[in-house]
This record gives sequence, structure tokens and C-alpha cells, in this order.
Amino acid sequence: MLASPIRTARQALSKRPYICPSCLRKAKLQPLASAQPFVARSYRALHTSAGPPSNDAPFRKLLKDAVKRKKKEERATAASSSSSSSPQQTPKNQDLRLEKWELTVGIEVHAELNTARKLFSGAATSTGEAPNAHVALFDIAFPGSQPHFQIETLVPALRAALALNCRIQQKSSFDRKHYFYQDQPAGYQITQYYEPFAKDGHITLYPHDFPSGVSPDRGPIIIGIKQVQMEQDTAKTVHQPPSTHLLDFNRVSHPLIEIITLPQIHNPTVAAACVRKMQTILKTVNAVTAGMEMGGLRADVNVSVRQRNTQAADTGHTYHGVTGLGQRTEIKNLASIKAVEDAIIAERDRQIDILESGGVVEGETRGWTLGSKTTKRLRGKEGEIDYRYMPDPDITPVIVGKEMVAHLRNTLPMLSDDAITMLVDVQIYGLTPKDASTLLLLDDGDRLDYYLDVVQYLRSALSDYPETLARVGKTAGNWVLMELGALFKNEEWSDSRVSSDQLASIIEYLLRKQITGRTAKLLLAMKFEGDARPVGQIITDGDMMLKPLSHHEYTDMAQKLIEENPNIVKDIVEKHRHQKVKWFVGQMMSNSAEGTVEPGTAEMVLRNLLELPPMQSK
Amino acid sequence: MRSILQFLRSHPTGPIERLDRPTYIKDAKRQLDRQADFTDFNVFISLPSRDAVQRAARTAEASWDKDKHTDPFGRLVALKDNICTSNFPTTAASGILKNFTSPYEATVVKQLRGAGAIIAGKTNMDEFGMGSHSTNSYFGRVEQLGYEGEQLSAGGSSGGSAMAVAWLQCWAALGTDTGGSVRLPAAYTGVMGFKPSYGLLSRWGVIAYANSLDTVGILGSRAEDVRAIFNTLNVHDPQDPTSLVPSTRARFTSEAHARETIGHSSINLRIGIPMDYNIDTLHPTVRKAWVKSLRLLEMAGCTLHPVSLPATQHALSTYYVLAPAEASSNLAKYDGVRYGSRAQGVDGTPESILFAKTRGQGFGPEVRRRILLGAFSLSAQAIDNYFIQAQKVRRLVQQDFDNVFSRPNPLITASEPSSPGNGVDILLCPTAPTLPPTLSELEDQDPVKAYMNDVFTVPASLAGLPAISVPVSFEVETENEGAIWDKSKFETVGIQLIGQFGDDHLVLRVAELLHSISADGLR
Repeated sequence: MLASPIRTARQALSKRPYICPSCLRKAKLQPLASAQPFVARSYRALHTSAGPPSNDAPFRKLLKDAVKRKKKEERATAASSSSSSSPQQTPKNQDLRLEKWELTVGIEVHAELNTARKLFSGAATSTGEAPNAHVALFDIAFPGSQPHFQIETLVPALRAALALNCRIQQKSSFDRKHYFYQDQPAGYQITQYYEPFAKDGHITLYPHDFPSGVSPDRGPIIIGIKQVQMEQDTAKTVHQPPSTHLLDFNRVSHPLIEIITLPQIHNPTVAAACVRKMQTILKTVNAVTAGMEMGGLRADVNVSVRQRNTQAADTGHTYHGVTGLGQRTEIKNLASIKAVEDAIIAERDRQIDILESGGVVEGETRGWTLGSKTTKRLRGKEGEIDYRYMPDPDITPVIVGKEMVAHLRNTLPMLSDDAITMLVDVQIYGLTPKDASTLLLLDDGDRLDYYLDVVQYLRSALSDYPETLARVGKTAGNWVLMELGALFKNEEWSDSRVSSDQLASIIEYLLRKQITGRTAKLLLAMKFEGDARPVGQIITDGDMMLKPLSHHEYTDMAQKLIEENPNIVKDIVEKHRHQKVKWFVGQMMSNSAEGTVEPGTAEMVLRNLLELPPMQSK
Repeated sequence: MRSILQFLRSHPTGPIERLDRPTYIKDAKRQLDRQADFTDFNVFISLPSRDAVQRAARTAEASWDKDKHTDPFGRLVALKDNICTSNFPTTAASGILKNFTSPYEATVVKQLRGAGAIIAGKTNMDEFGMGSHSTNSYFGRVEQLGYEGEQLSAGGSSGGSAMAVAWLQCWAALGTDTGGSVRLPAAYTGVMGFKPSYGLLSRWGVIAYANSLDTVGILGSRAEDVRAIFNTLNVHDPQDPTSLVPSTRARFTSEAHARETIGHSSINLRIGIPMDYNIDTLHPTVRKAWVKSLRLLEMAGCTLHPVSLPATQHALSTYYVLAPAEASSNLAKYDGVRYGSRAQGVDGTPESILFAKTRGQGFGPEVRRRILLGAFSLSAQAIDNYFIQAQKVRRLVQQDFDNVFSRPNPLITASEPSSPGNGVDILLCPTAPTLPPTLSELEDQDPVKAYMNDVFTVPASLAGLPAISVPVSFEVETENEGAIWDKSKFETVGIQLIGQFGDDHLVLRVAELLHSISADGLR
């Protein structure tokens, strides 16, 4: 089946990685957590970063918001073109400013790899476990301890890099990046500075990657990826008011990849779409543990603006080989896609304000908190840390064989672009691009799995009824996304609430015209509310099967209605308001038992009695 | 403390004799007595209880089995205090670890215990191994008593371990050698000090100073004792990522092959004399001992060949760029947050980190100096001219050695000896340019001058080669004739033997030969 590559990937994704029991035992045996009373102090100067964001609205909501915003913007533009402007922030003025100034953005995404063990010790990776439960000697930098590179951590990292179209380097090595902070036990982070394991990739953004379904540049946008490197995560600082900070080293040395794009993004929406797409790709290839909503992904952005149409190549700044750029600032630790977009907009506007008023943008590191109007200065160039990168003398270079790369490339799960291509193909599933990307993003891919199950069931169930087969994909899409989606609106998705074969069964009755659409919705609601009977049973018990009335019965019923409503007949016949026939159809349906009156037949009979031309077939 | 004269009269003999019946209890008691007698030398930072050691010696002697047990079984072995033990504190002679006890034991300690050795205690040293005289210790300097009663440098940084062996307070000792830290104190105290090839002995549990140079070293009275410990520890350890794997070790010179090469009757060894080591500042006595050693070996059948190691003159500055750079990185972990000491009172202000004061107070001046040096040479402005440049010179130093040895470097595949037929088997040169200086001389010595002591030991460290310092007695003026003790036993110069990578057994065999013929030569 076509669906199978995705299915295997999804199944693999839902499983927790294998952890060898002896490793877990070993990790637990380490008496380190309790050996040292290293937490019960009060600290004065902690710069705790904000916790993981709770915000990451479902994609469908984003789509709606985007459409609303677009309409609003259009109205606003229309309005402002007539009434002339108040200062700066009006959209027109904003447009003028953006015509003059070009934004340039580069992104660094940090993602937690989905691995069983830490990067340099056999300790298990964990989330949500008792603090300091999984910590090896090296993880907390005990004197005399040494790193043990866990070679298996390369697998998800390589998958991620391949999915991002990178060249895997035959040889890569690890370096120490020095800075002092209590969440960094060794006083340095082990990363790949001089020789990263993957280079020169790219990510392509298609219209379906944008919430509005439209790419700002009217076509695919390609963003270069300079490199992907492996590195260690830091410990977690837990603030206990008023003045206690506790350190949890479970996360320390969890393997991360850092993905560095080239500064080739010129639009905040593109930057957001880029991060969202990276997240999707990383999830699809099972490289990461969690998305941004769980703190599994964090982004830093470099933002600069320059005047358009100026040849500043010799005077401007050069970042990653891209020349002629304006002075950039870095905004650190953005924890949601919305934050990426909003922070870039705020920083762009701040820099333009400075430049327009004749000022100079300082190269500095800035922060952003969700909901704020502007970025905040964290430290300037003079406060910039010299990381003193040094090759780690204890870690031998990593050599990756060609066969390994080829194997991983061949077994890479289907990527979202390929999946979308398949889902929108009218020969296969025939979904709209919007529905396809929604399906892909919902519930970590569970919704897509569910959809594929429904389609598969219907295709085999309806094999004796070939005229419906072409509609199966689209109809199932509607029911999975709209009808079932509406029921799950305020609840967490579960694929067992209404099992895929029960939904498929409802759709099958509908497509066979054995029940009406209204009955189908009712059945779905009953299953959703926990009716344990099979769909067929409910239909039998409730006598819901469409029982066609005889032509005579239709005529009697129609005749009676016509006689009772002469005014409407008058409207229809004399004023040619033929659409009012529908009112009679509705009356016939509601006056009779559920599922007995078929609207098509009812209308035909009515038109016949009223001597109207037959229905136009749609 | 008893005077040196009393000591020499009562204990004129050197190493403990090997007997058919073990004398572990008696030996342990003598060594424990000497530990108690010479506490002013400040050799140990921590010691086990006397009872515990004697009990262990009794157990060893009772369970001794001639066929099963060989050295170091039942022997007292001292450990430098930067080697982690779980039943003694491990301080690295630093204030920042003054109360630290490791939750785990170093592999070399486990191996020694497994072989039946008794841990004699933890020896004093230069803080984190940084120093050449064992004077940079939070626990006070190590002192050595000279012939005239003057206070001498014991050498560093493994000065405590060397003194423990020299003054018979243990059977043998482990030190660490980063740029000469085992060989230099061995030379100054008149014992054998062996630095094996890099990556042979496990560093798991050995507190890092400069990882790419650090090796565990062995100090003993005789080459045989050193070899016994070397054979115990010379095993691949998966815990140490730089420990060489068995397949690589298989390419090295085996003990049996080395024994064959140095059969006492027919020695056909090519000895290289690195002419670049004959520097102006070489002390005349040292030069004399060097010449004597060469003559003795020539008489024993070896041939002598002057060789050139031109990169040697840059080796010292290379070392003092690389080692502090790695040290500044390795020592960043000491912040008092998870273990170790913290400064009194509040540390950290809104402008500074949580442990600025702790680190400022916890480290001694030499450690602070090297951290600053290292931080500078790794900084963005300096790394190209210092750290990167030094790495290049390091490679040249290694190539220098490969160019003079007859055996190709087994780590470099497809390497052809550039001087086939002309290459030498081993190099012979002094361990240090001078005899041990007095402690008073050192007191106002410029730190850079102190670094000069390492000029002959650093090249082998940079290349990772096996090297040993052999105490070679030199003839003394006859004015002491008729004295009741033989001064020559205590007037020795450290002569260094350097072998090709993996030729550890050859180095040990030649050391044994040189040691024995230099003693014979006096008769």
C-alpha cells in the first residue's frame, strides 16, 4: 500500500526508544544525586531562562487566524488608502518602510535528539523523572571522569541532517565551548565548532508550508543550511520562590543538534514557516523527542536590516559568507513559532526606527518575552563571551562510513513534502493542500494514521461499488478533519474514541446511500459519546436505515403540503422563486421519520406536481 | 625528625631484597616507621591507619602463594593525590578540593588493588600537577634533605611520590607525568621515574591537567619494580576514551622481544645522542653523568650516534602554550557547586557568576597563572598565533623523533622510517639540566625560569613517547674517602631514556641495564 512508509514511520515515532535495562540500573545505582548536598543553597544572581512556553496553537487555528488577519489587513489597506495616515505604525507607512528597508534573518534551531542515552555517558535520557535520577559521573563533571561518546546518538542526528539535504561529513570532531554558568557543570559545552558532522543543506518552503496557503514570494523558497552540529544540552534550573534555585541534571548532556541556516530569509512569516517546517521534518524522521510546545526545540534568530538597492557589499557586514548585510543582533531562546515571528517583526521595526532616526544598530544579544512589543537588550558586544573554542582532547574524531549514510538515506521515512504530494494527488487521496498539511501536523501524525486507516477500510469495503472509490479519499478527509475534528474541539485527540473502522463503517453506509448525512452525523455523535454497539447494530436498533417511500406516498405528502401553503406555491410558480422548492423538501423531511425521505426524490416529486422544469444536475 | 646522618647509618641499603619467603609484614613495618620518622618532608597528604596497613600486609603474607603472587602483591604503593580513591580524600593538593572524596576509584587503583598491592597513602604534589618542585601545594611544600643538610627541591609535580620511594616509605608509587612530572622528581630524588607511551595506562579517575599530555607514571627503586607495576596497569580500559585498544597494542614491542634485544651478553643497540640537548646552561655534573652513561653503554656493546632534534628548542614554549590551554578548560569545572569547597559568604553578584570568588580563592597562584595563560592563548585574538601554532610545532616535534628512530611510529600507518638502517633504537639525554636546586633559591625565582626545568622532559610528552629517568651515580671527589657511608649512593643524576612510541619494554630494559652497569662501574 502507498500508505505503508508513513505508517511505519508513525508507528516508530510513537514508541519510546529502547533503553537497555542494565544502563538504567547503572544510572540509578550512581549514588551521586544524594552524595553531595549541592542544591540547598540560596543564590543571589541567577539568570534563569523562561520556562517552556505553553503556547503553540493548533495549526488549524493558525490557518483561521491567518485568513482573518489577511482580511483585516486588506480592509485596513483599503481604508488607509482613502484616509491619510497617522504616524509610523499604520500599515501603509509600514509598507513604505519595508519598501525602503530589507530584512535579513538567519536562524539557529536547537533540537533535542530522540536518543536513549546521553551524548557522552551511558546514563539514560529522561523527561519528567525525579530530579537527578539519570546522571553519570561525567555528566556532572566529576574530577577524573571522561567522556564516552554514545555512537547510537549519531543515528537520529544523521537522519535529521539527511532530511535537511545536508552533506554528511566523513570526519567530524568535538570542541569545547567555554562559559561559566551553574547549569553547565564542566564549565564548557561540548559542541562541533571546527568540524560539524553535516554541512551545506537546504530546506524548501512550498505554499502549503504557510498558514495562509500562499508563499510570500509566490513560489517555493529555498533556504540554505550552513551546517548541523551535535552538542550537549544544559541542566535545568528550577526556581523555588523566594530565593532558592535547584539544579536538575537529568537534562545535562542530552544530545542536541543545532541547525544553522544561512542569512537568506527576508520575511518574518518565512522565518516562522521555516522553523515550523524544520520541526515537522525532524518529527517525521524521528530525530527529535518533542516539538517547541514541549521545550524540545528552541530557536535563536539573527536579525539585520539594510537599505534596498544600495551597493553596500564592501561596507556591509558578512555573515556565513553572505556579504553586504547590516549590523545584526541576535535574539536568543525563542521557544515558540509565534515568538520567532513576533520577535523578528519587533526587532526589524526597532532597527529601522534607529536607522531612520540616524542612529547606529549595536551588535548585541537581545531577548524576547511572549506578548511584549519589543526585544530587550541582554548584553552588548563588550559583554560578549569569548567562547575559547578548543578541540576536546579526550574525544576522538567521528568517522561516518558511506554505507551507513546510504543505509540511513534509503530507510528515511517519507518526508512531509512527499506525503503532501501523495495526499493531494487526485488519483490517490485527492485532499486539498490545506487539508493535507493539517492532517500531517495534527496530533503528531496520529490523525494522519487514523485517516489512512479509514481510507484503507473503505477501499476494501467498497470494492464492489467502484463508482464511490474516487470520492473515498476526500469524503474520509472531511469526516476525519471536520466532523470528527469538531467533536474533538475541546478534547484531546484519541484514535480509540471512535475507532477508525467504526467511522469508516458510517461513511460506507453513507456512500452506499443507506443512511442520510444527518443520520451519519448522529451515529458519529453517538459513537463519540461512548455507544458501544457497532454502527450496524445502532442503525438496526434505531430503525435508521433509509427506507424509501413509494412514489405514491411521496406524492401524497407533497400534495398535502402544497395545499396547506398556497402562498409559497404562488411565490414559486408566479414569481419563479424556484429555490423555495427546497423549503418544501425540508418540510417533507422533518415531517417524516428519520431517514425515510430522500431529498432528491422529494424535490423531483414536488417539481413534477408544481409543473416546474426538472432539477439541474450539478 | 632524625638527622640525615642517622638515617644513612641505620638504613644504608637501597631496595628491598627479593626473597623466597615474602617479608611483607617486615617491609610494611619499616616503611610505616619511615613515614612516621620523616613527616617533616611533607610527603603524604593522607595516610591510612597504621593498623589497616599492617593488617593488609599480614593478610598478604598469610595468603601468599609462590606460583600465584608476584609484585606488586603485598607491596606498599603510594598514589599521587590526583588519582581518585574512594577511601581517601583526593585533593590534587588544591584548596578547592581540600575536603573532596571521590565517589569512585580510578582504574589504575582498582588494578593495583586487584593485583594485591596495599595503598600506602596519597602523596603531596604541585596543585593539579602544575609545578616543577612540589612547592605549589595547598598542604605545604614537599622538602628534600640534601647531603649537607640543606633543603632541596624534590622536583615536581609528583614530588611526594618520588620522595616516598626515595626515602623508602613505600615500595613504589604512582605519579602523573604531563611534561616531566614523574621524571623530574625521579631525577632530583635519585629513583626510577617512568612515563609510559601516551594511552597505555588508564586515565579514568586521574584528575586531568592537560589531557592530551597526561599520563600515569611509575616511580620505583628499580626498573624491575617499575616493570611489575607497568605490567599490572598496561591494559586497555574502555572507560578511558584515549586508552589504546588491544589491536594497536599488538603492534608494540613486546616484553619478550625487549628481553631478547638486551641480553646482557650481546647488546647490539643503537643509542642516539640528541645534540640539541647539549645546551650552554647544562650543569657540568649533569654533563659528566651523561658522558659517563654513554661510555658505560658503549662498553657494554652499544653504538653511539649523534642525532638532531631541531624542533626541541621550540618544545618548551609549545608545551607552555598547550598545557595551560587545556588546563584552563579542564579546571573550569571546579566551581564549588556540585562538590568541592566554596568561598565563605555570598558569592556571585548581579554582574558576576555564582562562583567567581570561590574560584579566585580556591586556586593557588600558579594554577591561577596557568588558567589565565591558557584562557589567553585560546582567546579569539590569540588562538591563531598561540594555540594553533603550538599544535603545529607539536607535530614537528613528533616528526623529529620519527625521523631519528629506526622503528616507524606504530600509530602512523604506512610510515616509513626516514633513516632506514641509520635510525637509533633509543635516545639518551639528561632528565634535567641541573641538580636539584635548594628551596631557598626557588623562593624568589621567576615563574618562567621555573619552567626551564622541564626543557628536556617536555619533548617526549609532546610526542607521547615512553621515557624514563634513571638515577646514575657520578664519581665524587675523593675527599669523602673513609667516611662511614657511601655518598655516591645519594649523589645521582637523572639520565633520561626515550624510546619510539610503544617501545616501553625496550626503554625499561635499557633502564635496567644502565642502572646496573652504572652501579657496577663504581666498583
